[in-house]
Amino acid sequence: MLDRRTLLKGAMAAPLLHACGSPPTPWPRGAYRKPDRSRVAIVPAREYGPRLADVLRNGLALFDLPVNGKTIVLKPNFVEYDATGVINTHPSVIAAAIDAFRRLGARRVTVAEGPGHARDVEHIITASGLHDVLREYRAGYVDLNYDDTRRLALRSRYTSLGSLHLPETILDADLVVSMPKLKTHHWAGVTLSMKNFFGVVPGAVYGWPKNALHWAGIHESVVDINSTLPVKTFAIIDGVIGMEGNGPIQGEPKPCGVLVLSDDLVAADATAARVMSIDPGRVRYIEEGGRFLGNMAAERIVQMADSIETHRTTFRLLPPFARLRA
Amino acid sequence: MMARRPAGLATGLPIGALLGMQSTDGAWPSYAGKRAVNTEATALAVLALTAAGEVEAAERGARWLARNQRLDGSWSFTPAVDEPSWATSLVVLAMAERDRDVALRGARWLLAVKGRRLGVMASLLHRFSPRAMVVRMDPDLQGWPWRNDAASFVEPTAHALTALKRLRRELGEPAERRIMEAEALLYDRTCRGGGWNYGNSVVYDVDLPPYADATAIALIGLQESHREGRTRPSLELLRHLASKAGSGLALAWTALCLGAYGEHVEDLPQRLAHRYAETAFLGETKTLALAVLATHDPTALRL
Repeated sequence: MLDRRTLLKGAMAAPLLHACGSPPTPWPRGAYRKPDRSRVAIVPAREYGPRLADVLRNGLALFDLPVNGKTIVLKPNFVEYDATGVINTHPSVIAAAIDAFRRLGARRVTVAEGPGHARDVEHIITASGLHDVLREYRAGYVDLNYDDTRRLALRSRYTSLGSLHLPETILDADLVVSMPKLKTHHWAGVTLSMKNFFGVVPGAVYGWPKNALHWAGIHESVVDINSTLPVKTFAIIDGVIGMEGNGPIQGEPKPCGVLVLSDDLVAADATAARVMSIDPGRVRYIEEGGRFLGNMAAERIVQMADSIETHRTTFRLLPPFARLRA
Repeated sequence: MMARRPAGLATGLPIGALLGMQSTDGAWPSYAGKRAVNTEATALAVLALTAAGEVEAAERGARWLARNQRLDGSWSFTPAVDEPSWATSLVVLAMAERDRDVALRGARWLLAVKGRRLGVMASLLHRFSPRAMVVRMDPDLQGWPWRNDAASFVEPTAHALTALKRLRRELGEPAERRIMEAEALLYDRTCRGGGWNYGNSVVYDVDLPPYADATAIALIGLQESHREGRTRPSLELLRHLASKAGSGLALAWTALCLGAYGEHVEDLPQRLAHRYAETAFLGETKTLALAVLATHDPTALRL
């Protein structure tokens, strides 16, 4: 409820804000990390399978990533499993990434995920084929929903959450690779590498789904999580077969034939959205991320490998999201 | 009630692994090798080891739970996260026969907690144009949330129902009102054809699939239901899901649910042992504890 003191403070602050020209931004100056330019690679990948290892290795070579001796965490999307659907990051993309980062000299490559809906991780991991990949490559898996956590103050203030408990596996990594599926999303419009970090927030504290973040605002939470993670990040978006329509779970397969790679998650998501014929400037978390976390504007993105036009296709959108169409 | 196996008798499941994960202060972490202990794993381990006759380890776990009860009666998920958690219901169940006062304080905290309402617009839409709702549900029904600032969901609601029903004689009328409403919420969220999804039953006019673990947990909460006939399709579905349960968690919850309804899962110890040999349940304490509980006393959650 507004009291007299609050009203007086507001009345005094309004002219001051007006004099400064604009309201304060929801992030402190220290949270600004947008580079002058960003690089994004659209790598053609027509099908899943062992050939992806070469495809991904060649794609990563474009970025000169300093991963020698480093700890890498791969964060795919395993929100839920459906044998007849294309919900998850394909295990062969994860296998290719484990192989590629090891060949680049990484000291340790771990796969980590906090499924947003399903509680039955053993079922997801074994039924999806990820367990076979982990065995074959002798790679570790961490359930982020139950990882040890540390509480971090949020670096931006799009939500009123103030702080989040975040998993130590993520916080202690040298590089966290967001590996989402290229999908539409029935609450957020699209779910790509930034939204995929919803899965690092531990379900044991925030629930299945992470409904507290929905109440705080999905777009707002995405930006706050991405601004707060104190680690280097990279994006590998699995668009070999994406999902259109009623994503992220009930949508239909949409063959797209690409992997989208970038060391700027905002630029990766903006480019992936353009491939889907979606205007990234109309997806609020990408737009806000583009103000201070990375580059959304096409003229600030150096496009490597294939062009957007080569792979642009129209992802079907649910009627409430028709306004996102580029 | 099924006869309990003597402690230490081989069941194909390594009780020693569960005992080995217990920390020096008596609690359990979520996974082997994790540092932080938590209330969910500890409550389930206490239930499991009690059923398995590992009295001393169970007692040490129960003492940790009693020591870590918050002043408001709830339990945080882990001591590092200083806020009440959904796992309170599981601790109430674990403590109900050990320390009634501790359990009742937890249950009274549960009575004061409700999921967030979706708001007036959702309520009006449900009353006058329910088919226009993106998520098909009665938004006025309140059960329990995963955490205080969130809406009601199936699993925390079902766990709270089971806990309150176990103590309903001492809790009286306030508990009966909450039980009625929570049962109505679970029935409202039943998937078409029976069973429960982790979240909702219909979104954007699409039916969501039921899952074995969510269905079993909901049915355990719905024992002694005021409208028991409505659980039959879901029980039927769970019997079908039991035959193809592909994980330790699904199999253990299914066995505990059917056990609560007086039925059993065929070859349960062998199937759980087979799963454990395949995956070691990924090292998860919760699943190992539930598997041990289901093997030694499948009727443990019978009301």
